[in-house]
Amino acid sequence: MVIDPNSHVPIFEQIAANIRTGIAAGVHQPGEALPSLRALALELTVNPNTVKRAYETLEREGLVVSRRGVGLFVTDDAVNIARGKADQAVKALFARAVTAAKASGLIENDIRGTFEKALKDVSAGGDKP
Amino acid sequence: MTDQSLAIRTGGVTKVFRRSPAVSKLKLEVKKGTVFGFIGPNGAGKTTAIKMLMGLLKPDAGEISVLGLDPQKDFEELKQRVGYVPEQHLEYRWMRVGELIRFTSSFYDRWDEQMCRQLVQQFKLNERDKVKWLSKGMLAKLSLLLAVCHEPEMLLLDEPTGGLDPLIREEFLDGVLRTVGGEDQTVFFSSHTISDVQRFADTVGIINDGELLCHLPVETLLSGTKRIRLVVESGKLPEEAVIGAVYCHTSGRESLLTVGDFGPAAVEKLKSFAGVKVLEVIDMGLEEILKDYIRGRRQSI
Repeated sequence: MVIDPNSHVPIFEQIAANIRTGIAAGVHQPGEALPSLRALALELTVNPNTVKRAYETLEREGLVVSRRGVGLFVTDDAVNIARGKADQAVKALFARAVTAAKASGLIENDIRGTFEKALKDVSAGGDKP
Repeated sequence: MTDQSLAIRTGGVTKVFRRSPAVSKLKLEVKKGTVFGFIGPNGAGKTTAIKMLMGLLKPDAGEISVLGLDPQKDFEELKQRVGYVPEQHLEYRWMRVGELIRFTSSFYDRWDEQMCRQLVQQFKLNERDKVKWLSKGMLAKLSLLLAVCHEPEMLLLDEPTGGLDPLIREEFLDGVLRTVGGEDQTVFFSSHTISDVQRFADTVGIINDGELLCHLPVETLLSGTKRIRLVVESGKLPEEAVIGAVYCHTSGRESLLTVGDFGPAAVEKLKSFAGVKVLEVIDMGLEEILKDYIRGRRQSI
C-alpha cells in the first residue's frame, strides 16, 4: 500500500481507497482479515486513529465486517461493492475532465470524440494512458 | 465537551516579549488520545506556546490546563505525566549516553526499564558514546527515548524532526508510534515538515504572529479549503467576493481565490457576481493551505 502525505486527499481516505482497489483486484479476498490497526499504522507510519477512520469507512460501506476481539474481515459482497465505488471514483474523474474541457471552450461533441479516442488509445496500448 | 475529554485547554493565553506579543489570546482544545500538529512560520510563537504548556514559561495572561493541571502550580506533577522533547535537543552533553539515561530516570517516579533497553537497541544507541559526539539524528532519538520511558500520558514535541533526513525522520516517528500507541495518549507536536503533520495529525492548528488562524481536523481543512480559479472581466474581483476568503491573488483577468468554506454555496455565490466566471476548482495539500493562510494574513496587514 502506498500513501502520499503531500496529497490533498486525507490519509484515511487514501488508505480506504487503497483497500477498496485491493479488494476489487483480489489482494484482499472475502473471508480474509485486514491487518490490525496497529500493524498497518506502523507499516505506513501514520497515526492509528487514521487507520481506524479508514476501517470505519470501509465497515460502513459493507466491505468489511468486524468480529469482536478478532479483527476485521472482508465480506462476501465486498468485491461488488468495491467495483461500485470504483465506478463512482471514475465518474468523479470524468466530471473534472468535462469541467476542464468546458472551461477551455470545447463543446459536448468534441468532448465525446476526445473520450472515444482516449478509450481506444488506452485499450489498444494496454495500461498506458 | 467535558473537560475530562480534553488533554489541553487554553483560553486567552498571551505572552509578551519586549512589548511585542509572541503569543496572543491563544485558544486551544486538544482532545485526549488525539495527535495535534502545530504549524506556522518561524517566529510564529510555536515554541513559546509549547513552553507555556510545559510550565517552562509563565503566560502574561490567560488560562492553561494540561491534563487538568495548571502548568505553573503543578509543574512537578506535570513533569511526571508529560514527555517533552524540546527544540534544542538535550543539555548535559558532556555525559555518556548511558549516564544521561540513568541521570534522567532518577527524576521520575516511574521508569520502564524494558522499554528503555528496547529503544536503545532499536535506535542503535551506544551507551558508552559521549552525548556531544552524537549526530543530529541520534540526538533526536535519544531525546525521544528520554521523554517516553516514564510512560507519559502526553507527548509535547517541539519540532522534533527539524533538520533530520527523511529516513531518520521516519525512524523517529515510528519510535513515537511504538511508544505512545495507547488509546488515551495525546501527542502535541510542532513541525515544518508538513507531510509529517498530514500523515500524523488528527487536528492541526495554524499559527502566525502569535495568532491562531485556524484549528480544525485535518480532513475538514483539506476538504474545505480550495483554490478557485476565476476569470474576472474587469480585472478586479468585487470586495464582497473576497471578504471571508483565506487569500486572493489576482493577475490580469485571472483571480485565484482561496476559500476556507468550500462547497456548492461558495461557488454559486461567486457565479452570481456579474463579469465573474468560475473556471475550475483546485485541490490543495496542507502545505499550500498553510502558505495561503499566512499570505492572506500578510495581505490584510
